[in-house]
Amino acid sequence: MSEIERYIAPTKLAEAVEALASSGVTIVAGGTDLTPQINEGKRRYEPVLMNIQRVEELKDISLDDGEIRIGCLATVSEIRYNDIIAGFVPILCDTANRFASEQIRNAATIGGNICNASPAGDMIIPLLVLGASVELASWKEGAIEIRRVPLNGFFTAPGKTIRNDNELLTAVVFDKPSSDFVGQFRKSGPRPALEISTVTVGIGGDLKDGKFENVRVAFGAVGPTPMRGGATETALEGNVLNDDVIRAAVVGAQQDATPIDDIRATTWYRNHLIGVFTEELLNNVCQN
Amino acid sequence: MSEQVAFQHIEKTTLIGKRIKKPDAPAKAIGKTRYINDMVLPQMLYGKILHAGRAHAEIISIDTSEAEKLAGVHLVITAKDTPELRLGFVKDNAPLKDKVRCERDEVAAVAAESEAIAAAALKLIKVDYKDLPGVFTIEDSQKEGAPVIQERFPDNKSLKFEFKHGDLGQAEADSDIILDDTFNVHYVTHCCMGTSCAIADFDHNGKLTIYSQTQYPYNYKMDLAPALGIDPGDIRVIQPPTGGSFGAKLDVYPFEPVAAILAQKTGRPVKILFDREEEFINSPTRQPASMHLRTGCTKDGILTFRAADVEMDNGAYTSWGATVPVIMMRTTSGHYRVPVVDFKGQAYYTNNSYAGSFRGYGNVQMTYATAQHMDMLAEKLDMDPIEFRLKNAQKSGEVTPQKSYLRECALAECLTTAAEASDYVSKLNKYTDEREQEGRYKRGIGLASSIHNAGGAKIHKSDGCGTILKMDDYARVTVITGASEIGQGIDAVIAQIVSEELGVPVEHVNLVNNDSDLGPWDVGVHASRTTFIAGNGARRAAIKAKKQILAAASKQANVSADELDLRGGFVVQDKDGAVVTKLDKMLRQMHFQPEPDVVMVSDYYEPNSEPEGRDHISDHSAAYSHAVHIAEVVVDTLTGEVKVEKVTMAQDVGRVINRMGLEAQMEGGMAFGLGFALSEEMLFEEGRLKNPNFRDYKVPTAPEMPEIEMHFIESDCEEGPYGAKGIAELPTIVVAPAIANAVYNATGIRFFNPPMTPEKVARAIWEKKNA
Amino acid sequence: MSVKIELNFTMNGRPVNIEVPVDMTVLNLLRENLDMKGTKYACGEGECGACTIEVDGATINSCLMYAVDLEGREITTIEGMQTGNILHPMQQSFVDHGAVQCGFCMPGMIIQANYLVKKNPNLTREEMKRGLEGNVCRCTGYTKVLDAVADVVGAKG
Repeated sequence: MSEIERYIAPTKLAEAVEALASSGVTIVAGGTDLTPQINEGKRRYEPVLMNIQRVEELKDISLDDGEIRIGCLATVSEIRYNDIIAGFVPILCDTANRFASEQIRNAATIGGNICNASPAGDMIIPLLVLGASVELASWKEGAIEIRRVPLNGFFTAPGKTIRNDNELLTAVVFDKPSSDFVGQFRKSGPRPALEISTVTVGIGGDLKDGKFENVRVAFGAVGPTPMRGGATETALEGNVLNDDVIRAAVVGAQQDATPIDDIRATTWYRNHLIGVFTEELLNNVCQN
Repeated sequence: MSEQVAFQHIEKTTLIGKRIKKPDAPAKAIGKTRYINDMVLPQMLYGKILHAGRAHAEIISIDTSEAEKLAGVHLVITAKDTPELRLGFVKDNAPLKDKVRCERDEVAAVAAESEAIAAAALKLIKVDYKDLPGVFTIEDSQKEGAPVIQERFPDNKSLKFEFKHGDLGQAEADSDIILDDTFNVHYVTHCCMGTSCAIADFDHNGKLTIYSQTQYPYNYKMDLAPALGIDPGDIRVIQPPTGGSFGAKLDVYPFEPVAAILAQKTGRPVKILFDREEEFINSPTRQPASMHLRTGCTKDGILTFRAADVEMDNGAYTSWGATVPVIMMRTTSGHYRVPVVDFKGQAYYTNNSYAGSFRGYGNVQMTYATAQHMDMLAEKLDMDPIEFRLKNAQKSGEVTPQKSYLRECALAECLTTAAEASDYVSKLNKYTDEREQEGRYKRGIGLASSIHNAGGAKIHKSDGCGTILKMDDYARVTVITGASEIGQGIDAVIAQIVSEELGVPVEHVNLVNNDSDLGPWDVGVHASRTTFIAGNGARRAAIKAKKQILAAASKQANVSADELDLRGGFVVQDKDGAVVTKLDKMLRQMHFQPEPDVVMVSDYYEPNSEPEGRDHISDHSAAYSHAVHIAEVVVDTLTGEVKVEKVTMAQDVGRVINRMGLEAQMEGGMAFGLGFALSEEMLFEEGRLKNPNFRDYKVPTAPEMPEIEMHFIESDCEEGPYGAKGIAELPTIVVAPAIANAVYNATGIRFFNPPMTPEKVARAIWEKKNA
Repeated sequence: MSVKIELNFTMNGRPVNIEVPVDMTVLNLLRENLDMKGTKYACGEGECGACTIEVDGATINSCLMYAVDLEGREITTIEGMQTGNILHPMQQSFVDHGAVQCGFCMPGMIIQANYLVKKNPNLTREEMKRGLEGNVCRCTGYTKVLDAVADVVGAKG
């Protein structure tokens, strides 16, 4: 374990972002991923430890001009019990409800779950389904500069993203889903929540006049990063969800997924579950 | 204190069968209890062990010089500091190793001023290994030219067990059906919530005080002493509160002598405490086994024989795990009436981890096989499954081929009670019919039973327990017992029994049972024996004390002692409860008379069982008990998830003593079996554990627990305290095969190799469908 | 050694002022520096709940939280639940229902159960199971724990 030379706990976003301008900063929020990774030797501390928990402005969940914005410090519990989320994005509540344990939900932040970039990161799946983007703040010429990047494409490898070291992920944003939007999330069990997912599937789209449109599909734990399911989306887009279409979507899902064998599951089982969950979720969508 | 007598007559009541609270529960519930993990002694150093982390290697050299230089490090030791010190069941183990035989092997150890310094020092120890080809399966251990694991055992064979009874050839000829299957049971581990810990402290006379989680403090001295080169008499064992044990601490494991050696050499107390990953890798496992079982039966449904050929991966060292055939053969010969038995058990050395004792000891493994064979036979015979089992169920007074004498046998009652309570037969038939119908979710119901020793197990020369009981001038009782408390609740049971006999409130009974310098001998907390053995001992001691008091009272009141009793803190007339005098007053009068008569009694209770013996033909327990579990499951045939919705249990408990403690043991014991059946599995790759954490080693959590319905059958055991039998292992033993039988009922697929994980179940269903 | 900072927070209603290394977890601070050993270490990675405490009214795994983040916060540990020598009703219920065996996981379990009931006084048995999913117990099989919590819920309702 390396030594920490300085600890900072900024209260303003500008202070936090400015601190990142010089290299060598470890960012901590809820600590639920960082602590075990340090203990297991998977990560080392940078010379500066920056606790961003005191930046109040990063905690808000808001709906403004058709856009929902979740500050990076919103905990999974806060998302689970938030009225805006419950009212417009129940898929996020469902996912939050299947996330780890109550104690971890109370501590883990949405920003941390995204930046940890686990292929099995549960909260990422519904956000991909919602077509979310993330905001990355950096210090440019004495001021905060923010760039917005789609979450799809944000992840590059297990634990890796396109976020630069001088950037702070400040929020995740997405358009308020239309009133026709139906979103579904499924995670492998058998425990209700306290599982590192073997497979996760998220499906969402507008169900209009029997047709499924603006479809987005996302998979977790079946590739090096959480991923969108292009072939599955193509099979579904604009179609009535009959047996043939669902069958085609299952085939598409199994094409999209590139799972590996590990101690949690074999490739066979992951491929199998991808098919089972895709079909199950589409049947749920039909019943909606 | 008021001398006024509150009432004139006290009715006879009993505490037996009531719900008694554990006396240590309040301190635990408020976080006040100091577990061994929490203890800090003055001047204490922290020990840490360097484990090999590789399965088989020569140690070319160890350089500890950098570690020794680190500030705060007091001592670094290696095998050269502990010559010729052996431990283990066949003395094939050592505190520190000069050769690596498994991942767990202790290569060096450090004593330092903090855990962090000790951990840092370990990283500075340079070991030059020469890796050797490893042996990771029984098959490979027996190949020609296989690497030898233990030089003293060049054929890689460890312990061997055999029992034969009757003419197998004839029995085979007499059989209309013979089942022939191999069941492979996997590695699981205890996962005590409090990780392993020992604190060793030598005094200047060379006497070791060891704070230990051991379950057998008295024989522990005998096993620990040779690993230290000291006399067992120079060891004092103190057992602070411990975070569970479940069999894990029924042997000495290397970290304990290592702590002692560090303490001896530094002259300071040394504490070794595992973190969770160390706990997973370096703790005993349940003994895995490959059980080739053949069961024969006539077309009328009468069992003809059982033949079991059990092969066990011994791992690199021999602990209690390799001895589990002692119980496996009792199951083979005693689980239902089996006239002809042929049992073979052999353990083979490999470079894998090694097994210890674990709740259900061998019987979890064997019953997984025998109880499924019973289910398979009932189906083959197309016979009512309860009728088939009842035909073969022993009755009171029967003796098994190994001479287990089933004095009070309630197997038939357990079967009918559980079956009726759960509507077993009609559900079984209904779900069988529904099996081939469309539908993703399939229901199943499964029944399993087993037999287990319920009055100790005389595997040592004595299976006894000592008790010392004293009463003070205020009628407070102190019981000093050999029995150990590891969370199971003997503290409540002993207080209850003593209170029952002496007519004092339960809260007035104090228990002392955590210091080997004080306590009389006991063989340890294991084999479902403590309520039976220590309970009998406490009762006998209390009866002696009562006699002494009543004799004195009889003289004083001029009434025969037979006509007196102790109730509610008074000496009373037995027939109508009329108060004679207050108990505390009586005790003071006895004490402060010209010839003082103070109540201080002792007892050593030795059960009437026979030593196990080399031929394994003996009535080795003072009682035997049966249990039946019926599991109801829902199988998701696509994901393979098995949800156990309900378990109905019927167990012969002899007599209920502490109803609350009894229920708690049933529920907790069942949870162990549930994990074994469905989710828990240590995954090894070339001898290295791949899932040493709770993320990937899945113990049951609250949402996974089924509804439990319990039926206690009271067979009134003649030898047991108030008729009680030992109870705590059967619930772990019986539930897994009940679940397996239920999964079969739901899917038509037999799972010979637990655990029935979602992937395994899904795959089997998929393959059956796509065959 | 990592740098230390001065920390002020409230523990069980009393102010604490202490200097801590910035990489220390709350669990280690409680156990090693404050002698509050009721809170247990059992896994160190948030998978078992033995180290559960309440921070500003919400339960967390203290093995995962950085001690420095306690600045200005209020925490409740198992030692802070009783009043004088009177057990908190949740603690008493665990004792009365035989939910305590070895007891090692119970401080975390009781803190978590109490939090769940405070949050939802009409907790169902299924909700209890879900809320206690992150608290591993190896002795009880959870049944008596659920009975104990249900009794507190019932007494309130």
